[in-house]
Amino acid sequence: MELLGSQNLAATPDQVWAALFDRDVLEQSIPGCESLEQTSDTSFVAVVKLKIGPVSARFKGEIELSDIDPGKSCTLSGKGSGGIAGFAKGAALVTLTPEGDYTVLDYTADVAVGGKLAALGNRLIKSTAKKLTDEFFANFTKALTAEEEEPVT
Amino acid sequence: MIPSKNHIGQSHRRKNAFRHLAGRGRFVTDLALPRMVHAAFVRSPMAKGNIVELDVSEAAAASGVVRVFTAETLNHTCVPWTGTLDHFAGMQSGAQNMLASNEVLWVGHPVVMILAHSRAEAEDACELVMLDIEDEDAVVDGDAALVKGTPLAAEGINSNMCFQTVLETPDLDDAFTRSAHVVEGKFTFGRHTAVTLEPRAIIADFDPSTGQLDVHHGTQTPYQFQDVYARHFGLSEGRVRVIAPDIGGSFGMKLHVYHEEMAAVAASLMLGRPVRFVADRLESFVSDIHARDHRVTARMALDAEGGILAMDVDDMTQIGAFSSYPRTSVAEGNQVIRLMGAPYQMPDYRGRLSVVFQNKVQTSQYRAVGHPIACAVTEALVDRAAELLDLDPFEIRRRNLLADDAYPHISATGYQFEKLSHQASLEKLHQMIGYEALRAEQIALRKQGIYRGIGIAPFVEITNPGAAFYGIGGARISAQDGAVIRLTPAGDVHCAISVTEQGQGTETIIAQIVADQLGVTPDQVKVTTGDTDNTPSGGATWACRGAGIGGETALRAGRKLQAQILTLAGEILQADPMHLALASGAVVDKTTGQERITLAEIGRIATYRPDTLPKGSDNSLTAAQHFAPSGYPFDFTNGIQASHVEVDIETGVTRLLKHWVVEDCGRIINPLLVDEQIRGGVVQGLGPAFFEECLYDDMGQMTNASLVDYLVPMAGEMPDIEIAHIETPTLDTILGAKGVGEAGTAAAGAAAMNAVNDALRPLGARISQTPMTPLRILTALGHV
Repeated sequence: MELLGSQNLAATPDQVWAALFDRDVLEQSIPGCESLEQTSDTSFVAVVKLKIGPVSARFKGEIELSDIDPGKSCTLSGKGSGGIAGFAKGAALVTLTPEGDYTVLDYTADVAVGGKLAALGNRLIKSTAKKLTDEFFANFTKALTAEEEEPVT
Repeated sequence: MIPSKNHIGQSHRRKNAFRHLAGRGRFVTDLALPRMVHAAFVRSPMAKGNIVELDVSEAAAASGVVRVFTAETLNHTCVPWTGTLDHFAGMQSGAQNMLASNEVLWVGHPVVMILAHSRAEAEDACELVMLDIEDEDAVVDGDAALVKGTPLAAEGINSNMCFQTVLETPDLDDAFTRSAHVVEGKFTFGRHTAVTLEPRAIIADFDPSTGQLDVHHGTQTPYQFQDVYARHFGLSEGRVRVIAPDIGGSFGMKLHVYHEEMAAVAASLMLGRPVRFVADRLESFVSDIHARDHRVTARMALDAEGGILAMDVDDMTQIGAFSSYPRTSVAEGNQVIRLMGAPYQMPDYRGRLSVVFQNKVQTSQYRAVGHPIACAVTEALVDRAAELLDLDPFEIRRRNLLADDAYPHISATGYQFEKLSHQASLEKLHQMIGYEALRAEQIALRKQGIYRGIGIAPFVEITNPGAAFYGIGGARISAQDGAVIRLTPAGDVHCAISVTEQGQGTETIIAQIVADQLGVTPDQVKVTTGDTDNTPSGGATWACRGAGIGGETALRAGRKLQAQILTLAGEILQADPMHLALASGAVVDKTTGQERITLAEIGRIATYRPDTLPKGSDNSLTAAQHFAPSGYPFDFTNGIQASHVEVDIETGVTRLLKHWVVEDCGRIINPLLVDEQIRGGVVQGLGPAFFEECLYDDMGQMTNASLVDYLVPMAGEMPDIEIAHIETPTLDTILGAKGVGEAGTAAAGAAAMNAVNDALRPLGARISQTPMTPLRILTALGHV
């Protein structure tokens, strides 16, 4: 399943880029994130609680950043297992383009789900993914603004 | 006076219907035993992969959890099972065990079993299991599975071909060379599943103090499971009791061996307490057997007058990662290629069958095994031939159906027909549906942009199998049935019989048959079924054998008891038993009908005052009888169905206007229940024709595994179903009944597909895939 989207963020590409690699920002931004541990410069382990249609589960997953072109683009790959709820895995190409005072973030993601998630939630995956993405970027924007006010040293 | 000796042939209401309607059903799902624990399973979310990490420690410590089993701790208790049979030469399948140990092979494959004080606690604990699977490329498509270099769908097989065979008459190629016309087609039949009202249910109850295993099991074949549990868990058969009480629908789905039921038995043996597993609807979709899943390429050769010379058929059927046990997943395809063209005087034939493994849940025997596929392909080709030759669908069938005086007949595929009534059925249907008027209406409505279609489909149905189905292949599946009938001290009658009741009325027809042999009313006959400790051994209810084999068993047992009663009565009355008969609950004078002594009095004397009988009298008022068919290897019934539909060519939605069935099931024991069986069967045939399909994505994920997305036929969509009968009893038995459970399902989809194509014909469109969804119809019309 392919997901496409675009977000206008009120920050420079460098600020957005830094936030994308900031554990604290990501933890605040990922919907349902219970814990996020940075395991290397480019990898994280997350526990996320999600509800998709009738299926709710805690996902344990890994996120890996690759194909890094600083300030411009990178690929986020993730794989999460939600116990009996099933699994989700995917990869998203994220690109940043400056536009005036804003940065346009475009993403193209290829997502696959399995188990009960696929059996029950198939019709809901796209709408849920859209909702979760919106929630992520709303949180992300909020965190970005907060970062600007109180820059992390 | 209460009439007697004529209950066979009468419409009696189902004995258990009132009890069920009153909420007094006794289903396994309702049963609660002391110290019972509840099972839930962690299942594979992937179609194929290797288990790289499995940690159950958190789950084992969770609230309410009694025990957690993995392959390592459970599988050693059970001898693995392999779903192959010797008479399917060259057939292969991997061995199966309860829980996946290294590899998971379909979405839904059980990996961990959790036992807790409640199902809810067991399910909660399932979420705490850490299961990491490294996914591998799954074999999803049957044609792709056979391409060289494709990974194997399972361990223990040397290719993804489970079984292949070719059935061919010597003159097949010559028939096509000689032919004036050839019609052909490619057909796809989707996967669907049973969706029983009560899902699979089991409570295994092992008592270590006695060594007795009681299994309360919602199955149609208790004796088969008694044998399976004894053999695979190393128990003595006498210490295994399988009790199948009320069953909320089975349809063939509940006679296969499933991982979860075996695991429940294994866990009970280890814990020494009752273990309950009741599938929920969601896990039913990914663990109950699925049905069909065929791709068929077929052609038919005809002479200049539209006479069918031959068919050449290639069926590829996709069965999942394993062949099911103990009946195999090959029987369906085997019947598909053997039933092609069955109603017709078709001299030549070639049928190729390829049974293919893939990483999906197993497919296997389901109501009307193979019939709907063979019927739909054959009848679609006959309709195409009629169109090509500009013949009416009735006329081309009139020219080709076996003549009613052409029996015995051996079909091109080797089936022996004792006597069928195709031509009479065809004419009866023609009259019943008011054919000419329907055609006139069709033409008139087309002018208004309303597209209606009429489709017909004759069929042959296999019933009453002897040992040829499974026994000769080495399967321990009973080819016979048994009954024990006794007269109680108060003069009532009790019949314990091995055929089982799943709501179709088995107990009612057995009571009717027994009543007629003993001169009582069916109400006076109590029938016990579904308990291996309390009924004699037998094959139970599948392949329409309940009436034909079970009924004959009851009849013969009844006659045996009748003879015993008359002998005893003769001794009491000092009369020649030859001059006595049973009627109206008494022994009567055979010629005058005058009552001599009541059955209650016989029961009283034999039980409480045997001292008053002449010395040496046998006071036995119990008779046991077993019966196995010994004439033809199978019985065959026949009939014809018609479907009337309206297709909305803008939306692709089909409205089912009416459905008709003319059916010949041999002797009719209970017209009401026969019609109920046919109606239910027709609905079960129309479901997969229009609605039901298990959809998978290209990763092997089932994407509509709930009743939100999987469509079952509902009353609102179903047409009125009108039924008529012809009775051609089999002469192989005294009773003459052939069976009726699968007739409706056999041809309903075929008639419906012909009807839809009849509606689409003026638009130059044609559909060859089921279910015939609105989207597929619009695609056929070129609208999408």
